[in-house]
Amino acid sequence: MAAYPHIFTPIKLNQLTLPNRIYSTAHAEVYADAGGMPGDRYIRYYEEKAKGGLGMAICGGSSPVSIDVPQGSWKPVNLTTDRVIEPMARLADTVHHHGMKIMIQATHMGRRSAYAGDPWPHLVSPSGVREPVHRGNAKAIEIEEIRRIIADFAAAAKRVQASGFDGIEISAAHQQLIDQFWSPRSNMRTDEWGGSLANRMRFGVEVLQAVREAVGRDYCVGIRMCADEFHDDGLDHETLKEIAHAMSETGMIDFFSVIGSGADTHNSLANCMPPMALPPEPFVHLAAGIKSVVNVPVLHAQGIRDITQAERILANGMVDIVGMTRAHIADPHIMNKVREGREDQIRQCVGANYCIDRMYSGSDTLCVQNAATSREATMPHVIAPTKGKKRRVVVVGAGPAGLEAARVSRSRGHDVVLFERSGVVGGQINLAAKAPQREQMAGIVRWFDLETKRLGVDRRLGVEATAETILAEDPDIVVLATGGRSHVGQVEGWGAAEGLSVSAWDILSEKVQPAENVLVYDGISAHAGFGTADFLASRGCTVEIVTPDVKVGDDVGGTTFPIFYRRMYAQGIIPTPNFWLDRVYAEGNKKIAVLRNEYTDELEERAVDQVVIENGITPNTELYWSLKERSLNRGQTDIRSLYANEPQPALNEATDGDRFVLFRVGDCVSMHNIHAAIYDSLRLCKDF
Amino acid sequence: MPVALAITILFWLSVAALAVGLARRAQLWRAGQPAPVARSGLLAVPKRYFVDLHHVVARDPFIAHAHVATAGGAVLALIVVALNYGFGIYSEFLDWGIVLAALVMLVGVFFVWQRRRHPPARLSRGAWDRLPYTLAAFAIGLLIANALPTQILSSAVAAIALLFLLVGSAELVLGIGVGAPMKHAVAGLLHLAFHPRPERFSGVRSTALKPLPLDGRELGVNAPADFHWNQLLSFDACVQCGKCEQSCPAFAAGQPLNPKKLIQDLVCGLSGTGDTAYAGSPYPGIAIGTHAGAPDKAIVPQLIEPQTLWSCTTCRACVEECPMLIEHVDAIVGIRRNLNLARGDVPGTAPDILANLRETATQGGSDNAARYNWAIDLDVQTAVPGKPVDLLLFAGEGAFDMRYQRTLRSLVKILKAAKVDFAVLGESECDTGDTARRLGDEATFQRLAKANIATLAGLDFKRIVTADPHVLHSLRNEYPAFGGNYSVVHHTALIDELMTPGKLPVLEFRNSRALTYHDPCYLGRYNGEFEAPRSVLRKLGVNVREMDRSGPRARCCGGGGGAPLTDIPGERRIPDMRMGDVRGAGAEIVAVACPQCTAMLEGVAGDRAEVLDIAELVASSLEARP
Repeated sequence: MAAYPHIFTPIKLNQLTLPNRIYSTAHAEVYADAGGMPGDRYIRYYEEKAKGGLGMAICGGSSPVSIDVPQGSWKPVNLTTDRVIEPMARLADTVHHHGMKIMIQATHMGRRSAYAGDPWPHLVSPSGVREPVHRGNAKAIEIEEIRRIIADFAAAAKRVQASGFDGIEISAAHQQLIDQFWSPRSNMRTDEWGGSLANRMRFGVEVLQAVREAVGRDYCVGIRMCADEFHDDGLDHETLKEIAHAMSETGMIDFFSVIGSGADTHNSLANCMPPMALPPEPFVHLAAGIKSVVNVPVLHAQGIRDITQAERILANGMVDIVGMTRAHIADPHIMNKVREGREDQIRQCVGANYCIDRMYSGSDTLCVQNAATSREATMPHVIAPTKGKKRRVVVVGAGPAGLEAARVSRSRGHDVVLFERSGVVGGQINLAAKAPQREQMAGIVRWFDLETKRLGVDRRLGVEATAETILAEDPDIVVLATGGRSHVGQVEGWGAAEGLSVSAWDILSEKVQPAENVLVYDGISAHAGFGTADFLASRGCTVEIVTPDVKVGDDVGGTTFPIFYRRMYAQGIIPTPNFWLDRVYAEGNKKIAVLRNEYTDELEERAVDQVVIENGITPNTELYWSLKERSLNRGQTDIRSLYANEPQPALNEATDGDRFVLFRVGDCVSMHNIHAAIYDSLRLCKDF
Repeated sequence: MPVALAITILFWLSVAALAVGLARRAQLWRAGQPAPVARSGLLAVPKRYFVDLHHVVARDPFIAHAHVATAGGAVLALIVVALNYGFGIYSEFLDWGIVLAALVMLVGVFFVWQRRRHPPARLSRGAWDRLPYTLAAFAIGLLIANALPTQILSSAVAAIALLFLLVGSAELVLGIGVGAPMKHAVAGLLHLAFHPRPERFSGVRSTALKPLPLDGRELGVNAPADFHWNQLLSFDACVQCGKCEQSCPAFAAGQPLNPKKLIQDLVCGLSGTGDTAYAGSPYPGIAIGTHAGAPDKAIVPQLIEPQTLWSCTTCRACVEECPMLIEHVDAIVGIRRNLNLARGDVPGTAPDILANLRETATQGGSDNAARYNWAIDLDVQTAVPGKPVDLLLFAGEGAFDMRYQRTLRSLVKILKAAKVDFAVLGESECDTGDTARRLGDEATFQRLAKANIATLAGLDFKRIVTADPHVLHSLRNEYPAFGGNYSVVHHTALIDELMTPGKLPVLEFRNSRALTYHDPCYLGRYNGEFEAPRSVLRKLGVNVREMDRSGPRARCCGGGGGAPLTDIPGERRIPDMRMGDVRGAGAEIVAVACPQCTAMLEGVAGDRAEVLDIAELVASSLEARP
């Protein structure tokens, strides 16, 4: 029997046959060109999934049907104009060529936007209740507006159909206009659009009627809905089952795509794209609940990142089709790898949510571990062997930048030696994975570890490279990825040299035992400082976290900071934003931390047992300076070529004898994040 | 002239002994079932002997030459003796002819003696070891009696010569009667005349199993007497050279099968003896001397243990190697049929697979409607009555296997790139029944065959293509007996055909790794297709590093004949040995052309060559998009 009998069993949605049971759900890509048109980047992003064997993608998360929905922040596909038909048709043709089906999500966001942006609308909502996450001030919708928007849905559906798309998904999830009508949190109307469940459902039903009328009986129309808002005053599972059943009974819907959790508060939003802190498949039971009351296939995504997990869920009959969206952002070739028995080569999503957190800060979706995703025009997902000469590449440092440099160089067909001072690969990611509920960060390392071994990188672990040992390898190219070290020496007064304070690295690596009463000073406000505070608190310490930023964990994204905050409040960690740490001194067996308020310059003191400082890294440059003068290119990366995605000019020079070219990537140049380190290496080494 | 008279008397006594012996032996063969044979086969014996049989023997030039000299000299001497002494001519001139013939024979015997001094393990010893001496005695006897002038032929020397002649003649003529080594000469010639597969002598690779009438007295072979009489005769032709033993993958794996011993056991069965006199390699793990048979007694387990029969992969390596053209696989399947149909006694997971086949028409118990799920996203049409297509794709059981789906998808990619008008058979495709038939379940095979034939009868196509040599064999060679006659082509042959300029847009094939090709038994030995896959690889620009055992002598992967299902334990695994052959050729890729071979070779644990189907190699060289 096949290893994945359920995944590779086709399924029909209305007249549409999907080749397998894995799909990618609608998400806000933030890739559309100006005016909400799917352009080259957008199309290539989906083409890569199609090439990778995915059965279906639903694109265009929250693509608006009406012009009173601001589109600036998440750059959806603009379904309000006929101009979108041509580029959408190009997208459909492209993916159809590879056998993938494609649909688009259509919606009206209602109050779920910020008015402050083009076209500066007055947002509409059933009762004008403000939405907290987006600061969505809205007016109460009027009957004329309801009629206009229903007609907009129908017109948009016609455009989708005209473009050759395989279907349309109407969103009634994440508290958008349809479920704003459903939810008692946002619908307090007393007319025929509010009150009874039937009244609250009226808007959605009329939207579906209009859409169905526009596209005909045989076109695939689905609905995305939540199966429990997790708010006491919101829609619970039983009510949503009632809604789903009633919607199913209309006979107008070909599939239900079901998620768990509402999304109109910061905390509930964090559930929607479950980060690594949540258990696997946290809400599949809710989807199964919906499946028990509807008579069409149920689709479900949320924390399903592993193909065997998907097979098990399908085998259990909980849902009919599994969404693996972030999984495909990390590796668009999952399905081919499964087909080819190369499961071990799948770059598995770890749930770091770099992708979605970027979206919530208004940036394009990128993957923490795959720098090629959405850069398909310039960055290869599959590294082709070089047609040039075989070179000898020495990479120093096996953090993310060094691992990627080694992987890519080796895939190009070169002989690669990878030096790593410690006995294991992974660099700072290994520290990041020490924080509570951040263990899955190690998954990033796991893949690089397997790949560099599989590809045959000559890994010299536990070997500290020197200029001499590097040159003894007779390299043509040297890539330094030596990372950095904890930057606790930045301020002399912190007393790190005297042992008055210790670094977050010391704590996470368990080099230093936690004391009882600890002050964590976080000068960076990213995951590390918060992770360290959590690490200490979970070991029973009394912890205060201090930062000069406006809030603690300020640079932790929108779906991740709520996880930290849950843990912060649950463990009694004291958040103290807006304070600098000026100095630390000893008094008796206590350490006194002197804090200065950013806005008043007022000083405060804390007497604690331990001061832990997270202040990022300072680059390790010693090796660079000892090699720079000996290299052909004096260690310079030509940024004009690099940013143009072209080969480095220095690669044209003869590198025989003692001659070599020298590059640096990642933190050893200046502090970057994991994605940036990997991108540094990929864009440099893809042309080796 | 007393010596000459003595020779005359000895000659006629020998003729009489031979006649009596042959008559007695023929009685044993007659216990077998009737078989339609043509008397004209007797006339064809010289050609069959000198061309067909010698073609096989000549693969071992040393023994071929030795045999030509020994047997040729002996036969020539006997003819002249018959003339000169049998008919009382007593010409001295003819005597010199005898001397010449005897000298030739003696030279041959010398080499036979040489080989017997350090015999390879495959050769049986025992009575066979005395042959150089008794045959030498015959030649020397002739030399003394005919070369020395009568005057100096003292009575003592004459007596010695006659004694030698007597010993030699006894060896030559009593063999057939008492079952001694020289039996092979008489039985062998008659076997050539009445061979169960006479079409082999007209250059046809006759490999299809014969249909078993399901309303017969006995379902398959229970006792030796259930074989056709000419099969019993064929067993008597065995010379115990052990070429079969040497080529048998199961024997090499230490599984309890030795084709030579099997044939010898059947000889014991037809002659009603035990195997104590057998002096060759045993079935690995089964002691000699504990089994015996009789023409009317059940073969299993008194004469042959069931695990011996279930170890066979039906690879036909033994048949390919047998200089006496014996059909071992027919014998084994004949007995398996009885074990399966009459006794319901099949080991391992085979009963489950057979039940699946009966109930679902698939081996894995899969849903037949899912057979072409792998092609859903490839935009492939399904054959329907009334819509003609050039080519019909018959996927076989591999369609349910994720690994082989890659091969099938590659094949579809190639067919599309070459713009071939094709359709897949879709959910009406049943298993061909190949595995069922090899396991002896003739009833299931026939039922599946008839179902497929009925389906195919409703469709309009020119040719069938399959990537599975087992499907190829069933459809091409075994379905005609049930009225299904099709033009069936293996995918490698079709790809070879398509790889002509202008048809298939082949790009460069980038591969720096050493590659070898493994011949599937059912493509090579069963269908004689050795060239097409190699031609495809050549066209890709690949220099194939051939394994020592390749082409007609290729070693089986272990996957045929239901052997992976009956799963008889041995000391090694056959695919591991085959992967060893791959390693021996220094290859990092082993190209294959069969789902069974793919599965077996990919099942080899540890460091091994990558296993890629020819279709995958070709598809990888195609442009990504047209």
